[in-house]
Amino acid sequence: MVLENLPYGPRSYVFSPKWFYGFDSIIELIAVVVCILLVYYSYKCFKLTKEKKYLYFSTAFLSLTVAFIAKITGTLAIYKPEITRTAIGSTIHKTFASMTPYSINAIALVLHFLFMLLGFMVLFLIISRLTWKNQRVIALLAYFVLIATWISVIHYQLFYATTFALLLLITYSYYQNYKEIKDEKARFVAIAFGILLASQGFFIFAIYSSTMYVLAELIQLLGFVYLLIPFILIFKRKPKRAAK
Amino acid sequence: MIEKRRGKLEIIADILRSIQNKGGKIKPTHLLYKSNLSHAKLKEYMETLLGRGMIEEKDVNGRKMIFMKEQGHKFLSEFDRIKEFSDSFGL
Repeated sequence: MVLENLPYGPRSYVFSPKWFYGFDSIIELIAVVVCILLVYYSYKCFKLTKEKKYLYFSTAFLSLTVAFIAKITGTLAIYKPEITRTAIGSTIHKTFASMTPYSINAIALVLHFLFMLLGFMVLFLIISRLTWKNQRVIALLAYFVLIATWISVIHYQLFYATTFALLLLITYSYYQNYKEIKDEKARFVAIAFGILLASQGFFIFAIYSSTMYVLAELIQLLGFVYLLIPFILIFKRKPKRAAK
Repeated sequence: MIEKRRGKLEIIADILRSIQNKGGKIKPTHLLYKSNLSHAKLKEYMETLLGRGMIEEKDVNGRKMIFMKEQGHKFLSEFDRIKEFSDSFGL
């Protein structure tokens, strides 16, 4: 397997200390739930309004959902190799007979890199008010996403450095959005992305210390909880009715 | 500053909000003034809203009045929610 025999980088992308095995998957499962809620509601908005911006937003979070599912699958293949012996697992295993838990982990992590970067890139395009008319800019960004994914396989830190850079721009845009509309929910969104930005900063150094990985995961959890708050606030609001 | 042109849904929401702000009923002339539309355009939108069951026209003491229906309230509530979502997430 090519990915297992790379001359650089770690053999597998598991940085978690043993006692934290599975907890990171739970955190990522929470991220998946938050992302799916945003995918569902923004797609509903698109169906109602026919405005493309909602469809793109939905696509961005769908990409992040796939990225997190890929990471959960990849890490679980290492944490719980017996999964490959379950009914679904053995079917997959027979189909891809040559795959070891490490190769599943490696492929899943490449998918995680690609979809995570794609998701943040689309999000960056939306909030930067770029449309599909800016084809050359989009093509260039897509190229950088592919390059970043490719190099991240060898130097995983580049992946987190790129997500950090993208999130820095996204957080700044959301901060500007909050300054413009001065709304509590927009503040939560800006804080959520700021926290996710910090988590990516910790992930960069996960290779040196498993504590960094644990901290990064916990900060990431906090970020997704914060992202859920404005969503809950929107749905908690009672509709205004006419005075009788 | 140049104001962004209103979309079809925004116009519908503005019409319904004008009715809502008047306690759920409004005179057609007031609605024309509040909605900031031409007579022809307002008529077009009114037909859409009547067809979708969001509003109804009734005679009150020999005068035509426009009333907002449950569907109208539901639409406005959903529209406001989408607007909040859109503003919060910078869309």
